[in-house]
Amino acid sequence: MHLKVAKRAESYIPTASMADIAFLLIVFFMVTTTITVDRTAVDLPTSLQRVEVPKDAAVIAIDETGQVFFSNGEEDSRAISTQDLLPSAAFIMSKNSLKTFLIKADGNVEYRFIDQVMEQLRQASVRNIAMLTQQEAG
Amino acid sequence: MKLRKKKGNPEIPTSSMADIAFLLIVFFMVTSVFSVTRGLEFQLPRPDTSSEQTAEEAVHIFIERSGATCAFTVDGILTSLGDINVYLQPKLARNPNKFVIIDPAPNAPYRCMVDVFDELRISNVKNISIPTTVEKAAWGDVM
Repeated sequence: MHLKVAKRAESYIPTASMADIAFLLIVFFMVTTTITVDRTAVDLPTSLQRVEVPKDAAVIAIDETGQVFFSNGEEDSRAISTQDLLPSAAFIMSKNSLKTFLIKADGNVEYRFIDQVMEQLRQASVRNIAMLTQQEAG
Repeated sequence: MKLRKKKGNPEIPTSSMADIAFLLIVFFMVTSVFSVTRGLEFQLPRPDTSSEQTAEEAVHIFIERSGATCAFTVDGILTSLGDINVYLQPKLARNPNKFVIIDPAPNAPYRCMVDVFDELRISNVKNISIPTTVEKAAWGDVM
């Protein structure tokens, strides 16, 4: 008697859902990432103590030449003179008096630039300030 | 003669979709920059309440540039950064609300001020004051 050879099922790896998985990952990363408002390249000072700062804070970046960049936390940062900082900060404070101002300054910048910025913030009645730092080794 | 064309099953090729998606993931991973979201928090005094604390009672830390590093003068005594805590501990034990004034020279690097601030935070100093040049001028000669 002639028996028919059983048909062998073709083996394959199911890859149809791979695209779904990958796009899910993309969407996840897109939702969780926060968009950086300031891209000024600075060499931050280091500190052992560091606390998480609010995400919607206004950013004042000071590069090593002392040039000040300002962002209200929503728009991209732009170069600004120290004198113009006062009206900008005062405007933000008029809307939200608890707004945190991040100082993202280069560690090698001379203190007088920070002093000028602090003075403007003081005059604008700013309360909360945070100085961004890197983790200190050890 | 009749020619018959074999009809294949119509389908959309989706096998490269995963490749495209992973390529996108890798692209975003490479181009995204990690922003620093941690630092030292600091509160400026309320403008309406004038602090009655006199500068004489406070510990005064003066920061100067000395070459590539900084010199720290605490209450008139030249001190190393690590010894600031040693100096402060007995004072804080007596009065936990001891005022400490950080006074960096205009040409001192910013990182030295952050170093001192960090040290004070580690010592649990509650009242840290960083007066600006304008404020110091208003205070007069007490500094």
